[in-house]
Amino acid sequence: MTGLILENVEKHYGTACAVRDVNLHLPEGKLVCFLGPSGCGKTTLLRMIAGLESLSGGEIRLDGEDIGHTPAHLRNFGMVFQSLALFPHMTVGENIAYPLKLRGVGKAEQQARVVELLELIQLQAMIDRPVAKLSGGQRQRVAIARAIAARPKILLLDEPLSALDAKLRESMQVEIRQLQQRLNITTILVTHDQREAMTMADIVVVLGEHRVQQVGTPIEIYRHPANEFVADFIGSGNIFPATTLGNGRVGLPGGDTLEVPASHSVIVGEKIKLLVRPEDLQLSSPQATAGNRLLGKVTFVRDIGATVETTVECSGVSFTALNTPCQGMDLGIGQAVSVTIPAQACRLLSA
Amino acid sequence: MSVSSNKRQALLPGETGRVAGLLSAFILLLAVLPILTMIVMSFSGAANLDFPPSSYSLQWYRAAWHTFVSPDASDVLSLGQAMGTSLLVACLTMIFATLIAVPAAYALTRCEFRGKAVALQLMSLPLVFPMVVLGLALLLVFDSLPFQMTTSRLVIAHVILALPFVVKNCTAAMLGIGSEVEEAARMLGATPRRAIVDVVVPLMKSGILAGMLLAFIVSFNEFTVTYFLYTIDVMTVPIWMYSRTVSSLDPTVFSFAVLIVLIDFVLIWALEKLVGEGGVSF
Repeated sequence: MTGLILENVEKHYGTACAVRDVNLHLPEGKLVCFLGPSGCGKTTLLRMIAGLESLSGGEIRLDGEDIGHTPAHLRNFGMVFQSLALFPHMTVGENIAYPLKLRGVGKAEQQARVVELLELIQLQAMIDRPVAKLSGGQRQRVAIARAIAARPKILLLDEPLSALDAKLRESMQVEIRQLQQRLNITTILVTHDQREAMTMADIVVVLGEHRVQQVGTPIEIYRHPANEFVADFIGSGNIFPATTLGNGRVGLPGGDTLEVPASHSVIVGEKIKLLVRPEDLQLSSPQATAGNRLLGKVTFVRDIGATVETTVECSGVSFTALNTPCQGMDLGIGQAVSVTIPAQACRLLSA
Repeated sequence: MSVSSNKRQALLPGETGRVAGLLSAFILLLAVLPILTMIVMSFSGAANLDFPPSSYSLQWYRAAWHTFVSPDASDVLSLGQAMGTSLLVACLTMIFATLIAVPAAYALTRCEFRGKAVALQLMSLPLVFPMVVLGLALLLVFDSLPFQMTTSRLVIAHVILALPFVVKNCTAAMLGIGSEVEEAARMLGATPRRAIVDVVVPLMKSGILAGMLLAFIVSFNEFTVTYFLYTIDVMTVPIWMYSRTVSSLDPTVFSFAVLIVLIDFVLIWALEKLVGEGGVSF
């Protein structure tokens, strides 16, 4: 099988476990994103793939070859660090040429490759600048150019955008993604920013509590979270306890019942968790409870200009609905309101 | 608007008041006073050591120059020979101390090992150890050896004395280098050793240079320990100067001292130039 395969990969520090039993297949040419809260082991996993951290157990195979114990300098992987780790005593050109120099590439060929890469990142004029004289975004691009200079088999990005301001980060996300697709290089991106993951990734690996929680496309992860951890971590969601009643219905703590997708074959009377995304909730002027429409009371309104978040309490749980201001109904705290929860928007999660 | 604020402006942080200024000037004066005295004395025209001198001349410089080129019979060694020994010992001390300190600084910052705290303490031991005891101890050790050492035992002693300064400067430089640059070099294909040579050492450069110059200065000025270890035909400039003053205090030494202080000044100036502000820790 081609691509990068991780089998039962583990990392322990003494008795503490940093990464537990990771099994992944990273197909060639795709951008895979390791997404998770800080301390979930995503960087440790990346560093093990890089060869900067030893494996406590398991195997890493690249195109069928076991590379789990190959030293970092022999793996030929490109890596962009969180701090970028450019060499401050070298110019932009020297930084990019460094991996080529190590491989004994001739001077003329080095120069040609450096020029080619600088064209790619649109910094042709900067070749003789010391890296300290570059802006954050330029440094970012030089770090990427250096990482791909020796045509690595895999590109590893360890939260490379975290030092940039929000606007620059967004544009760099698009830039890196386009570059990755143009070069068709297998890439692993580590991030805790789900927006970044959704923007850039072909496949998202959600990590939490030192293990893989879910693997899927960004939309799968968002629409069909495998468990409560993923549902809670990705996007904002209304997650609340419910009881299955069979026939595609669930009961809420307040006694009301909701219709849910029938595909969920669950045992009657099981305690489960129900997920509804805030943007799927519809608010309307108060009407009698019927079908998936519940009557509730507004407890909080957060109007942040672009969107309005309305918190409504009904049937013993708190829902947050997300609307654009023009859909809004100018609700005040304490007002009665009807909430419609479309059946297809409900996700049942095992509790 | 308050009128009184114009009369007596409160000091902002970072501004110096008059009292503080005077105090600093006094302390600085105390520090340079010996050097000033020495410079004044070296221009004395009298044959005694009265301060201030009754007249001024360049006679001691002339005498010093004479001693330098053609030593009188009473001297066992010329100043030229002593100067040669001093420079040789200082250069060797500088080289060996640096060769030991750079790997030591790397290990002390990057690696975790048992007894690291003890190693750190031992490194700075020569700074607090009584010099006379150290000199005596070294003399006993060297004399118990079955072979004779002359210049080399001075170098060994000076390396011991210079090492804390060099290690401290190299360690300070190491602390500023993140482990990520080293890892980046390895990811780009450098062996661990190559990564140190290509990335870590160049980034430590200012600390290493500062350490080297400090080692040179420490060795060049060292007296106490050297006093126990010099031999009749191998002595350094401070020992030579002292030997000229024991029997009869000869004002020539002042003109030599001025020369040596000048050399030290040039070295320290070079240190600041090479390393830039705030780069050196003594």
